[in-house]
Amino acid sequence: MSAITSSPTRPIRTASAAPSFLGGIARFARREFRDAIASKWFLLYTLAFTTLAVGVSFLSLSGVGSHGFAGFGRTAAGLLNLIMLVVPLMALTAGAGSIAGERERGTLLYLLAQPVSRMQVLLGKYFGLAAALLCSLCVGFGISGGVLAWRAGGVGIGSYAMLIGFTALLAIAMLSVGVLISVCSRRSSVATGIALFAWLTLVFVSDLGLMASSLLFKLRVQEIFGLAAVNPLQSFKMAVIVNLNASLDVLGPVGSYASQTLGDGLPWVLGASLAAWTAVPLALAVVIFVRRSSV
Amino acid sequence: MRSTHLLILIWILIAPHVVFGGAGAAQAESISFVESLIERATDGQEVRVPAGVYEGNLVIRKPIVLDGSDGAVFDALGKGIVIEVLAAGVTIRGCVIRGSGSDVTGEPAGIRVVAPNTIIESNTIQDALFGIDLRESPDSIIRGNTISGKDLDPGRRGDGIRLWWSHYCVIENNTVRGSRDMVFWYSEGLIIRRNTVIDSRYGLHFMYSHDTVLEENDLLSNSVGVYLMYSNSITLRGNRMRNNRGASGYGIGLKDCDDITITGNALLANRVGVYLDNSPSSIDSTGIFESNMIAFNEIGLLATPNTHDNVFTRNAFVENEEPAATHGRGRLVSNSFALDGVGNYWSDYAGFDLDGDGIGDVVYEPQSLFGAMLAREPNLRLFVHSPAQQAIEFTARALPELRPQSTLIDPSPLVSAPKIELAIADAKLGGARMGIFGAILLSIAAACIAAMGIERGLPQTRTGTRS
Amino acid sequence: MIRAESITKRFGRVRAVSDVSFDLDRGGAIALWGSNGAGKTTLIRCLLGVIRCRGTVRIGGVNVRRRGRHARALIGYVPQELAFHDDARLGSAMMFFARLRRVSRARASESLAAVGLTGHERKRVRDLSGGMKQRFALAIALLNDPPLIILDEPTSNLDAEGRGEVVETLQRLRRDGKTLLFASHRPDEVISLADRVIVMERGQVIRDTSPIELWPTEKPIQVVRLFLTMANEADAADALREAGHTVHLNGNGLCVAVPRDNKADPIVALARRQIEVRNIEILDDVQISEAKR
Repeated sequence: MSAITSSPTRPIRTASAAPSFLGGIARFARREFRDAIASKWFLLYTLAFTTLAVGVSFLSLSGVGSHGFAGFGRTAAGLLNLIMLVVPLMALTAGAGSIAGERERGTLLYLLAQPVSRMQVLLGKYFGLAAALLCSLCVGFGISGGVLAWRAGGVGIGSYAMLIGFTALLAIAMLSVGVLISVCSRRSSVATGIALFAWLTLVFVSDLGLMASSLLFKLRVQEIFGLAAVNPLQSFKMAVIVNLNASLDVLGPVGSYASQTLGDGLPWVLGASLAAWTAVPLALAVVIFVRRSSV
Repeated sequence: MRSTHLLILIWILIAPHVVFGGAGAAQAESISFVESLIERATDGQEVRVPAGVYEGNLVIRKPIVLDGSDGAVFDALGKGIVIEVLAAGVTIRGCVIRGSGSDVTGEPAGIRVVAPNTIIESNTIQDALFGIDLRESPDSIIRGNTISGKDLDPGRRGDGIRLWWSHYCVIENNTVRGSRDMVFWYSEGLIIRRNTVIDSRYGLHFMYSHDTVLEENDLLSNSVGVYLMYSNSITLRGNRMRNNRGASGYGIGLKDCDDITITGNALLANRVGVYLDNSPSSIDSTGIFESNMIAFNEIGLLATPNTHDNVFTRNAFVENEEPAATHGRGRLVSNSFALDGVGNYWSDYAGFDLDGDGIGDVVYEPQSLFGAMLAREPNLRLFVHSPAQQAIEFTARALPELRPQSTLIDPSPLVSAPKIELAIADAKLGGARMGIFGAILLSIAAACIAAMGIERGLPQTRTGTRS
Repeated sequence: MIRAESITKRFGRVRAVSDVSFDLDRGGAIALWGSNGAGKTTLIRCLLGVIRCRGTVRIGGVNVRRRGRHARALIGYVPQELAFHDDARLGSAMMFFARLRRVSRARASESLAAVGLTGHERKRVRDLSGGMKQRFALAIALLNDPPLIILDEPTSNLDAEGRGEVVETLQRLRRDGKTLLFASHRPDEVISLADRVIVMERGQVIRDTSPIELWPTEKPIQVVRLFLTMANEADAADALREAGHTVHLNGNGLCVAVPRDNKADPIVALARRQIEVRNIEILDDVQISEAKR
């Protein structure tokens, strides 16, 4: 048995073989992207999102003959609901699995023993997953864009593009939250559980709570708007609606208040809320992961 | 005598070309030149104004045809009325009219008419506080004009076209943009067809004007599409009200109007499709709504609780955020949502049609808990289009005791949408662009996957394990 | 190559590694010896900079805490069992690590060939046998030809054949001038690979010695591993030491060095104390003379 063939002896190099900071991130991003698109969750979510998006585009425009092209706003509203339900779930669970999964399988230790820093590993995974998510969204929006083209014509390409843009922002914001959850969890199942809880909270509980409190405590409009804008999902929704209608009057007194007081700054304020939800959890995740004393 | 007449006529027709042909459009002329041309014209004669910009205010006092289609521009330089018609039987055609005063006192207009039998056609009116203002000018025709208002705050704008005590007029093929209203006061027996009103306040606005037909008008992106007030016996047929989403944002608003017939219209993506405020107001009157497409509005039908005796049949209520709602508390049950056993199509109808007669076997009664909550606390409208809203509706569906009373009952809902097509040409442009956009998105995804996702591992080598 | 100064690592109130210091020169080989929970694995993780600890670790003069990824570029690490995405194919996994360590595709192939895995590129990690996995881990560790190889019980999950392969490769690496640090449960491995043994117990270094001193070698000896029915290994070890045997608690049974012609002595000694031996494993012959050089 001489399975081990002799390797040519090479001079011991003293030069560092560590990849550059960005190079290392890129390596991990690529691997994460590759793993993600090959995984079942990616296929499942992409399929679900695409089917639902196409379904919404199709159904909301059916039975209206040539009047369909007026319906983009309504279609967008339907898509909005769908996006708010599916995209955070997708991004949160994807993020939650990222670090905790590797930790649980024991692969994280092996990766960290390579010539890379913890920050590189984390950011690489983040960007890889973000790219995979955006790909998934591109597929869904691309196909439902085709349905819109067929049923409704090209009215609202700008709005559609903005809808996609804000959806992308929402996705990476929720991914940040998911990664933060993942960094703090020892086990993948725990991380997924917390992510689902976060999803439930952001999607339903906070809105219902805010509704209840505005009924019970007779909150003033500025209070309701302020509290709602803290929720990334509401920020996302308001940003898309401002973009579609040039004002938030559709959202009743609270929306009118926001449009009047903030005016042209309104989309920026809402975008800032989403950006903060992207940057802050990610930064926190980096700090916690880098400072963590165990694997 | 006759020969002199003939000579003058020839002179009028030819002289401008010969004598003033080189004046050029850019050169400013005095309005007195046009006045002198009119002076020389006889009644009923055509006055062809040569190309040029004529500055000042023109008053027409005899029945002539003023034709500016050679490139005549009338500019009042921001003072008063541009052209005022005092004589009956005047025609103004092909002129560019601009620069009326902008102070609302005196109501300066592009064209003001105070005499009957006037024809105003194919003019372009720009930068005028009021576009065309007919006062006690019955039997007039306003046709094919393009009117755009002054660039002012919506509150300070004037009307694009206004009729005041002017019966039996025809208003057709006009386009009004960025003004206040196309408004009709105390004017009866009008024919209003194929007009387009965009980016204004009320597309078509009726005050105390009866017995009129509105056909195939296109009202787009105004505050309100058609607003009828205190006007009776009006028929709306084949009009389109799209994207009217201003402060009130009605596709059609009716206030205290009797005997209204609304058929074959498309009310699309307005804030409210149809708004009924105490219409009909008389006890023995009926409002008819038949075969209208009411789609993509925030609220399909909104009515004050006292609204009664409207009949809705064969309408398509498609994908409205709320199909029907009451303005305030109450229900719409004093109206009927079926005629001779034929109701309306409601896209949120969840019933079935076992006998296959096209009529659903269970009644349609929308019960929106969220809608009921909105009626109580308007601030909650912030949460529309959110999963939380869906959750509330879902809960109400699961728990019958939470269900609010339905706003209306359609006893025989249609199971498929009736086909309602308009004569108005659809500008269905850009489908290809959207298709390309979708394709671009897909290729981005494909490119991403190709660039990053394809495994480029080590190839399988032949050597294999040696043992 | 390695300079460790008073490394201390606590997990809660437990000191997993307590004030460990040692130097390892280039070309040297240290074995970490001790029972499970003695702190070997934790120490290795501290050396790799994968977990944070008190004290200073320098690899080739590079501070692990401050410039971890540069320090780790000098280390090839082989875990107890390779943990990598099970679905990944060997070839693509190899390329991932090759890019991470900035070596060429050709070098990656070469490295695979060096451990005899050429031809298995399309296999998935999950389908590799234990021995193949360890050879694969070794191939990854050697990608950029690092001067230091750190191994955490690299053979504990392998059968005799796999063990032999790995030990042979490591011996060759030593000859090529690599520095080695490894944890092991097997005296034969230690004797044939290490020139120093650091014996750890409860996180502390209790002896820093050589294999020969740990296992006196006047007579040809063999090491037997005893598995006890009742797991009071500490008592058993005491009993055996009283009887004059060299004993090491090594997590996986008791390792006792015995003369070749008296292998049953420890069993008899234990039987006197009413300690029952369930099983006995005779470990490979130890070639002291060869390892000594």
